[in-house]
Amino acid sequence: MALPKGPAPLTALALALTAALIGALWGGWAALAISLAVVAAAIVLGRLKPMGLILLSLLPLALSSLLINALLPAGGAGASTAILALVRLAGATLPLSLLFLAVPADRLLADLEGHGLGRRPAFVLAASLGSVSRARGRAVHVIEAQRARGLDTEGSWWRRARGVLPLVSPLVLGSLAEVEERALALEVRAFNRSGPRTVLEPPVAAAWEGVLRWSLLAAAAAAVVLRFAGR
Amino acid sequence: MIQLLDVAYRYPGEREWAIRETSLAVKAGELVGIRGANESGKTTLCLVAAGLAPRVLGGELRGSVELAGLSAILFDNPETQLSGLCRTVYEEVAFGPCNLGLARQEVHLRTAAALERMGIGQLAGKSPERLSAGQTQLVVLAGLMALQPDALILDEPVSRLDPDGADVIAGVLLGLADSGKAVLLAEHDEALLSLCGRVVEL
Repeated sequence: MALPKGPAPLTALALALTAALIGALWGGWAALAISLAVVAAAIVLGRLKPMGLILLSLLPLALSSLLINALLPAGGAGASTAILALVRLAGATLPLSLLFLAVPADRLLADLEGHGLGRRPAFVLAASLGSVSRARGRAVHVIEAQRARGLDTEGSWWRRARGVLPLVSPLVLGSLAEVEERALALEVRAFNRSGPRTVLEPPVAAAWEGVLRWSLLAAAAAAVVLRFAGR
Repeated sequence: MIQLLDVAYRYPGEREWAIRETSLAVKAGELVGIRGANESGKTTLCLVAAGLAPRVLGGELRGSVELAGLSAILFDNPETQLSGLCRTVYEEVAFGPCNLGLARQEVHLRTAAALERMGIGQLAGKSPERLSAGQTQLVVLAGLMALQPDALILDEPVSRLDPDGADVIAGVLLGLADSGKAVLLAEHDEALLSLCGRVVEL
């Protein structure tokens, strides 16, 4: 599904960071409202399924938090505390998750570069964002290679757990070797050259987005001040 | 032009020299091959000739290396030569010219020309992460061509290509030499080496 035309990547980043900050600082109803708004936005953007997977990844944390707070006597804070903590966590993480699901990393980086972020920090950020999918692809190759040599990675949980160990070494060593090769390739393609880099399609921000960004910055500052002044 | 005179190089932390007392000259418009068994030092020689060793890799270099103008090198593993920053093949090919800070129109001209020369214009809108190894190698080479280097060094460029891809590379190599570039090719493929004006044994 094609994404509807939205704000410039930097505006989306400002929006996500402000929402995450408010969600983390205020928790409670604010975090709940932010989480619901993010889920609604994910539906509109056609990103509900990956967002669902992110929510699922919070499940172990949710269960352990409930267990500690509600069931164990030493926890003592109760189920409501556990739920509030989870809502706060969701409010802080979901806006940024949606940002990375909906805004292509290279567009975000081009926008950041256009606003003064150097190419090296931009590359570090992009490499970090892209490393997960590359590591997953490498892991599939390593698993296939190890299976071809007779490693059993199917069946019971115990069997799968035992199968993980022989995968770690080739995965880590392969990734390290890749770093060196990639560094050479980037050097060859003038990545380390000094001076400004040409941005092929500079993200265009509408006039209202500048106002929105400053408003978001003001809102973030106000959220911090009010939160700590209220204590 | 590439000129190596009595060059020896060893990698950081290694006691053994990877190459020793090696001399080689590739003039503008010349296509020179390097033939040698595995571990004979072909890749190391390519890295030295490209000016990457020891400048980027570290280690110790003896002898003299002269490179005139911009040089580029193509490695055998195409996947690690992708920038990892681009959504489309077009952007990937344009990556180098963008890094040079060229005017946008010049970047577009070079990118279109490189894609056409490699015969991969139909891939322009695809994700570089979703290509076959052979296609990726052609994309990476197109990215180097877009830099318009004076010297091009290729380390086993067809090892992952099908015969059609290898033919494209062969045509590109000849065209590069004809257009006055210095081309150094390390290869096992005898058909490709036969295109070279001379072949150096390691």
